[in-house]
Amino acid sequence: MNLGALHTSLIETLSLTLVITSVAAVEMRRLKFSIVAYLCQALLIVGLLLSFAAVNTALYWWAATAFVTKAILTPWFLFRALRGVDDHELKPVIGFGPSAVIAALLMLSFFHLTHGRGAFLAPTELGQLGVFRTNLAVASTVFALGLYAVLTRRDAIKAVIGLCLLENGVHLSLVSLAPGLSETALFGIATEVVVTVFLLLYVIEGVRREFGSTDTFRLRELKW
Amino acid sequence: MVGDVLIQASALPAIVFLLPMLVGTMMFFVPGMGRAAQQWVSVLSAALVTGLGVWMASRILTGVVLTTWNRELRVDALSALMVVIIGAIGLLASLYSVRYLSARMAENTTLRRMRIFHGLLMWFFGTMLWGCVTNNVIMLYVAIEATTLTSGLLVAFYWDRRALEAGYKYLMLLTIGITFALFGCVLLYAGAAATGKLAGASALLISDIRNVASFIPGRTAAITIAFLVIGFGTKAGIAPFHPWLPDAHAEAPTPISVLLSGVMIKMALYAMARTVSIFYLPWPQITVFLVVLGTFTMLLGIILAMTQDDLKRLLAYSSVSQMGYVLVGIGLGTYLGCYGGLYHLLNHALYKSLLFMCVGAVIYATGVRRIAELGGIRKQMPITSACFLLGAVAIAGFPPLNGFWSKLTVYMALASAGMWWAAIIAILTSVLTIVVMLRVGYRVFWGEPRSSVPSTLAAREVPALMWVPMVALAAMCVLLGIWPQGPYPLLDRAAKALATLGR
Repeated sequence: MNLGALHTSLIETLSLTLVITSVAAVEMRRLKFSIVAYLCQALLIVGLLLSFAAVNTALYWWAATAFVTKAILTPWFLFRALRGVDDHELKPVIGFGPSAVIAALLMLSFFHLTHGRGAFLAPTELGQLGVFRTNLAVASTVFALGLYAVLTRRDAIKAVIGLCLLENGVHLSLVSLAPGLSETALFGIATEVVVTVFLLLYVIEGVRREFGSTDTFRLRELKW
Repeated sequence: MVGDVLIQASALPAIVFLLPMLVGTMMFFVPGMGRAAQQWVSVLSAALVTGLGVWMASRILTGVVLTTWNRELRVDALSALMVVIIGAIGLLASLYSVRYLSARMAENTTLRRMRIFHGLLMWFFGTMLWGCVTNNVIMLYVAIEATTLTSGLLVAFYWDRRALEAGYKYLMLLTIGITFALFGCVLLYAGAAATGKLAGASALLISDIRNVASFIPGRTAAITIAFLVIGFGTKAGIAPFHPWLPDAHAEAPTPISVLLSGVMIKMALYAMARTVSIFYLPWPQITVFLVVLGTFTMLLGIILAMTQDDLKRLLAYSSVSQMGYVLVGIGLGTYLGCYGGLYHLLNHALYKSLLFMCVGAVIYATGVRRIAELGGIRKQMPITSACFLLGAVAIAGFPPLNGFWSKLTVYMALASAGMWWAAIIAILTSVLTIVVMLRVGYRVFWGEPRSSVPSTLAAREVPALMWVPMVALAAMCVLLGIWPQGPYPLLDRAAKALATLGR
């Protein structure tokens, strides 16, 4: 096996593991395990960015930014929000079985989409390469799983984890779509995600005090 | 196409947004700065920003476009119009907040968080201005997301059940919504870079992407437009992406409601107009889509407003409806449509801020915001009543006031584009607006006094620092009504920057 093929298969393995960590982060009932799954995903993204950096050296910067914001700050904020409270997630709207089926279907359809007519999603020349198409499919799957978690989970902390997954998907897609992005723009995008997570957890802390739980179904004061 | 404009290097676009950002940072990190000092520094910076905006506008009227930082920041007539609106409404809102917030100080733990209020207000202000002056498509997203983050804690400022719920929804829904806009912006950049006609970083500049729009393949353009409309539309309160809006606008402190309804949703629509209008020339079909979305928004907004019993929520839904008019005008893509849309944007900023301030004054004086519990407070609060009536008549579009002229322009634009059905829906919405606003004005200010709520009987007129901004806005509404050609030079250039379809 030559080096190029090894590189491709490494990237594809990492990409698939990413989807598995997303499913784990969405499905784990203990929120702490969920955060650990998220942390694993963040580290995988850093690894993936480093391996892509062999093709595009600008990505070393991205890897560093992702490491600080996604693998250190975000999990730290999340763990801090869970300190001293029961971390069992409230029963979600849709259980494990249907969720797994939905995840598999999402993955398959995105692979089909990007490998069939990917040109309209990633019009750059680099985006036409096989690895970048796989990456785009994985990014879309992670994004969709994050959105799914936000929409179907009752627990506000779980919704924030879903939001983090969603943003990870965006971050991954940028590798294929906009490899020429400047560091300042990237830094801006990555920082805002961390600030969003911080502010949301701060508000959720207030919600926990006022409402007695982080159940979003109890947020029923405002209607229409 | 913008064609041959004279580009002039100037530091003004950078100063105008860095000034409030620096002032805000200073408020966080300079200890011992009293509340009074913070208040007046905020008012002063807002006044300076307005002055800078007017200065930029006057330079642009001589036929130049101001750029700086390698064209990363670019101010044309459209940006200058937005800067002036943001500056002026920000100035009046910060003036209004001086007394309004003092009233809540004694009630709860507001005092402790008061320290961050003005700092966040200035950052909110600065990020909105940044979004209006930037020419970088990714930074446009970053700035708009930054406005969400800086205003998130301001929405939840009172920290009670309702405010926390509104704050959570606000941050969550807007962050997800705006992520779609990020995809849209990135695809716009990727599409422009793939045409191979723009070198390196210039594919990030909106003013350059405009020139290569016709080379972007159709399917990429379609998906880009869809993402941009969903993303920026969520932030602009376009139905069906509006559910965050009534919660946030109603639960935020009134000066923040004024800024959210008066300017923030408009600068999101500005972002949408800037990016989507790139595709008007190669893909004129999207104008039909935008007009359909706009008419749906205006009709749904006013129908939901009719069912409200809460004064602030009613105004918030009315904002949704009014954004429909702006979207219809700008989405039409013709010169007349863009002119009407932008003119309506300016007018709505004036009278919706006025109405929110009046309702805030009622809440300040009586502590009540349910329409059913209010009635006949005209005698106690003559100035507020007069201002509310004027604002209601203006938003309803009665002839001698400003709302009439911009709505008329939108109707005319729709008619001349052959979209009679949309013109009819717009007129119908206008009739419903008259019903909603005048009914509320009558019940709250005229009607029978409600003796069941004792605080409404003891209500008194609000202090001068609150009614002066209201009177100033009311005067602007009257002035633009009897002198509608006043803003013409600026609006004309701004509309030309957007309108690329036939005149």
